Amino acid sequence: MDEDLPTDFNVIVVGTGVVESIVAAACSRIGKDVLHIDCSDHYGGLWASYNFDGLQKFIKEVKTEPNKHSQVYNLEEKWYINKDPPQEEPKEDSEDGKAEPTKKVWCQADFTSEYRKFNIDMTSKLLFSRGPLVELLISSNIARYAEFRCVTRVLTWLNDKLMPVPCSRADVFATEAVSIVEKRMLMKMLTSIVGYNDEEMNNEFKDWNDKTFKEYLTHKGLTPNLIHYVLFAIAGGTESMPCLEGVRECKKFLMSLGRYGNTPFLWPMYGSGEIPQCFCRLCAVFGGWYCLNRPIDSVETKTVDEGKTVVVVGSKSKTLKCDHLVIGINECPKDFISSEPAETCDISKAIFITNGTIMASEKEPLTLFRFPPLNDEQNCVTVLEVGPATGSCPKGLFVVYLVTNKVKDAESDLKPYAEKIFDMSGGDQTATSDKPKCLWSLFYNVKDTSAAVHSGTDCVHVCAGPDAGLDYDRAVHQAEEIYKKICPGQEFLPRAPNPEEIVFEDGATPGPEFQREDEDAEGDKE
Amino acid sequence: MAKTYDYLFKLLLIGDSGVGKTSILFRFSEDAFNISFISTIGIDFKIRTIDLDGKKVKLQIWDTAGQERFRTITTAYYRGSMGIMLVYDVTNEKSFENIKNWIRNIEENASADVEKMILGNKCDLDAKRQVSKERGEQLAVEYQIKFVETSAKDSLNVEFAFYTLARDIKAKMEKKQEASNPPGGRTGAHQLRANEQQRKPTSWLSRCSVL
Repeated sequence: MDEDLPTDFNVIVVGTGVVESIVAAACSRIGKDVLHIDCSDHYGGLWASYNFDGLQKFIKEVKTEPNKHSQVYNLEEKWYINKDPPQEEPKEDSEDGKAEPTKKVWCQADFTSEYRKFNIDMTSKLLFSRGPLVELLISSNIARYAEFRCVTRVLTWLNDKLMPVPCSRADVFATEAVSIVEKRMLMKMLTSIVGYNDEEMNNEFKDWNDKTFKEYLTHKGLTPNLIHYVLFAIAGGTESMPCLEGVRECKKFLMSLGRYGNTPFLWPMYGSGEIPQCFCRLCAVFGGWYCLNRPIDSVETKTVDEGKTVVVVGSKSKTLKCDHLVIGINECPKDFISSEPAETCDISKAIFITNGTIMASEKEPLTLFRFPPLNDEQNCVTVLEVGPATGSCPKGLFVVYLVTNKVKDAESDLKPYAEKIFDMSGGDQTATSDKPKCLWSLFYNVKDTSAAVHSGTDCVHVCAGPDAGLDYDRAVHQAEEIYKKICPGQEFLPRAPNPEEIVFEDGATPGPEFQREDEDAEGDKE
Repeated sequence: MAKTYDYLFKLLLIGDSGVGKTSILFRFSEDAFNISFISTIGIDFKIRTIDLDGKKVKLQIWDTAGQERFRTITTAYYRGSMGIMLVYDVTNEKSFENIKNWIRNIEENASADVEKMILGNKCDLDAKRQVSKERGEQLAVEYQIKFVETSAKDSLNVEFAFYTLARDIKAKMEKKQEASNPPGGRTGAHQLRANEQQRKPTSWLSRCSVL
């Protein structure tokens, strides 16, 4: 099989994370010969989603082959339920056949048998409805490879309990938490925020450069509740968030409202691991070659005739050549990274599987909850809760992701937050309680490799790893920057044609007429 | 916009490189066969709407885009697929043996109730045949999957295969709908479309919630 693989390419891309995959698609789209490889047997690297079996393999690998996943550490998996189902108790049949459907008691064996119904993200992120990734997916026509769900609600933590943040007009009219006077004040302030522009600092913000966002909100006369909503839930900030950063975050939130659903956010069906795969598909459709399970052994640059440089990649006793090498930071030989990336703050993450949502809701919710810091040393914690409708887990369960910047280690950083929203006692699953039971948890730290890194040579491009941010904006931006260096002056991911727009002349005999459809007719929210 | 079909089925073609998946796709969607369509460049999926028992069924048939070559088909390829054509080449023993591997791949990644069918393609090349029809039938019985030999070149059984697969999916779907009313299936998930951008430009105020 190996002999079928050509050896000379315009671009070789190593690693199938989001940045690498976007660059691969963009190069292939305009006709570059692209080889895209990954050392592991699946797509996505640290951006992958796993089913439960895949996740168990990943956990095992991190423990037994730490070098293979050197970016992941402090990994702690814990079960809160029994291995096997309870002994079949001779249940006295309730009088009328099927009264009271008793709540399912989950055991570990259920997770094993339903492993395929899980799609658990290593890097869970949301898309802003008008953010760069959504615009790119639409403009490139790659959107046809994915489906999305709207985040249905944004929650915050106020007065020691979960509170919904009003996000649609209906929500606002329904809420009594905000008075008319407050609404006016808020409206005035949000108008100035939407008018904010980085280039031309208008008068409104010119004196706020070195002040905090909270000071600004207080100055605008917002009440404590409103300050809380805007600062923590909308801007995702903390007490010390600089004013202009808060303004930018708020603007991003506001600009993405009203496009798809009640909130500004979208979640990819079957998990975030689908995103890089969509770009890989496009790359393949335009002729890109794909190999998984293909580690690389060596990378060197060689100057050939006329001062042209080629990159030579050794992989499985095969020598591959290309004009440009695009490589994920984790796979890149250290001598190609000119300087160690700036000391960054690592990421603390946790994943929980629970038997219910953190806050009851009429329909299955999809929740973004930004947990304000519980104490001064800590950071804001981003909580994402997804249910069976997203293809993340079997019916009856929810998957909850917690992410924050690391202070101590993942477990110490996140457990206090988890305990506020879950029952982690491992007790009786059928007991009624206000908090869902945590059935399984995984804590881990990930090195932050999201800082831009230069390779020191013009033909090797290093892609950053996932950052702790809520969205994909940095990844998209970096991919575009790399693309511009490889293909200067060329359009970034021009729209791919729809199948019916491709006309084959080439001597093909025309077939019988069949109805040609308006492609767009099918998709509007069905 | 009114729908111009009653059902939309996503179908996949799967099998080794060179077994004729793209040719089958072209035969069915364009009624064309051309030897120069060997590579799959630029072909994503093709659409053909057929009439089944008075219902318009729109078939969206996806090709592997070459990702079958080194077994690197994305898990995303299988999402939402309702029917899969497993294709081998009767003149290529290896491609026949690999059907079992592809079935394993499908079991791992596709929905558990996806309809499958096995196609032994290139049956016009009798002189070069390595896999007898009986062996194809036997394999199909083993997996309880329907089977037919096809020739994209001679336009043999291609139409029949897609109609059969579509009919099986439709039957299963209608049975399911009867069982659970209102009809099952995912609601609320949607694809992002360019035309959604062209909605009347709303001022941010009308969008903005908090007001």
